[in-house]
Amino acid sequence: MSARSALPVIAVATAVVVLAGCSSTTSGGKKGAGGLELVSSGTLKTCTHLPYAPFQVKKDGKVVGFDVDLVDLVAKDLGVTQEIVNTPFEGIETGQDFTIRKCDLAAAGMTITPARDKVMDFSDPYFNATQALLTKKGKPFKKVEGLKGKKLGYQKATTGGIYAKKHGKGVELVEFEDLGLLLTAVKSGQVDAGINDNGVLFDYVKQNPDTAVTAEFNTGEHYGIGVRTGNDALRKKINAAVKKAKSDGTYDRIYKKWFGTTPQS
Amino acid sequence: MSLSKRQRARVIRGVQYGVLVLAVVVFALIADWHQLRMAFFDVEVAKALFPDIITTALVNTVLYTLLGFGFGLALGLVLALMRLSSVPPYRWIAVTYIEFFRGIPCLLVFIALGFGVPLAFEVALDMNVTVMLSLGLVGAAYMAETIRAGIQAVPKGQTEAARSLGMSHGRAMISIVIPQAFRIVLPPLTNELILLTKDSSLVYLLGLSLTQFELANFGRDALNEHKSLTPILIAGLLYLVITLPLGQLVRRLEARTAKAR
Repeated sequence: MSARSALPVIAVATAVVVLAGCSSTTSGGKKGAGGLELVSSGTLKTCTHLPYAPFQVKKDGKVVGFDVDLVDLVAKDLGVTQEIVNTPFEGIETGQDFTIRKCDLAAAGMTITPARDKVMDFSDPYFNATQALLTKKGKPFKKVEGLKGKKLGYQKATTGGIYAKKHGKGVELVEFEDLGLLLTAVKSGQVDAGINDNGVLFDYVKQNPDTAVTAEFNTGEHYGIGVRTGNDALRKKINAAVKKAKSDGTYDRIYKKWFGTTPQS
Repeated sequence: MSLSKRQRARVIRGVQYGVLVLAVVVFALIADWHQLRMAFFDVEVAKALFPDIITTALVNTVLYTLLGFGFGLALGLVLALMRLSSVPPYRWIAVTYIEFFRGIPCLLVFIALGFGVPLAFEVALDMNVTVMLSLGLVGAAYMAETIRAGIQAVPKGQTEAARSLGMSHGRAMISIVIPQAFRIVLPPLTNELILLTKDSSLVYLLGLSLTQFELANFGRDALNEHKSLTPILIAGLLYLVITLPLGQLVRRLEARTAKAR
């Protein structure tokens, strides 16, 4: 066989291999413990967007945090280990990551909203959050309305952004891709203030005393863990694990570990 | 059965086309078109994007690109000349600069300038200036090499002829060599413009207000708002609206250069 005639043979062979590959990967998820379908057996894949201290943050090469500890309880109940998948927040909150089977659940300090509820199913609330305002120390801003003509930063696809858009008439809104950039922008004076969830801002202020949280807005928000629409088996497992943790004191212990206080409610 | 050489070649080509067609057909059959259509072709969502996606996003993408390209081209020319200079320190500076900015991701330059400068000097640069510098600094490194190659491609005889007419070295460069060099490097420079058009999406790192959104960011923001991938598709198509004519231009220029030779 001459070199030239070998080409199409290779092409056909490649095509066959590629096609065979296609047909064998369509089977999807595998049955895991307790009749539960996990994206890959043996691991509970958690989608999150880093950094979001103290809920999820990288430390010594590992992702740790409040959410991580909580989901670990679920994983323990299922007899599997948790694996964190870091992915843009917009992929999480639009439900796309579930559609493409990137992960089993999303624990990302994520507020339960009607819009998100449409594209995924939420666990029972596991955390009460409010929005808060971060500024450089000594700035007088106490309200979003008071920032007229000033720059207010928010994180893309977050409830803080929704709040800012709703109440920030006349405020110049600046959108940031993630929390780290937003916080740096406040610190470096690129924006006059930043809006985000209270938990993460208080955590930041602790480490950056030249900044301050000047206001909190009670928006009645609750964090929930998201699963693919219809994945009730996993959702029930999460609810059971959180409920058990709340009743036996594990929840309070984890809360104290990450926030330094015990939950108020 | 014996085939002549030509017949065999035809059969082989037929098989190759067949495989291609088969691959396309199989892809078309196994893809979930309903899902794709639902996600990417939501007419209502698409309508909601206009006219802002043109008047703000497209305009800003073009603006950011041109700012970066303009600054990069000017700096690139200076660097190219420094690199060809007979003064060693100039050459060292140019080589170091080119190797550095060609070697690090544009993303890091955006972060370094956008966040490093305000932290260091306590002044926030204007957004457009930051974009111009970030895109331009990286673009200049590539363009410098392109322009240098162009200058070196101009035959030595041109410089010698100019010098023998009594022109100074600088005069000969400006009047004779550089114009010819630019004609040679126009196609690769246009390539660089296309690359910068896409790199301009990195501006999202700086934090954008609504009037500063460019195409990619606009698309992703609308994706979150509508929970649909349609804005991504539209944004992609609008990038093509910018880059396809540029590609056409490159081919046109290439043909013209070929004819002029």
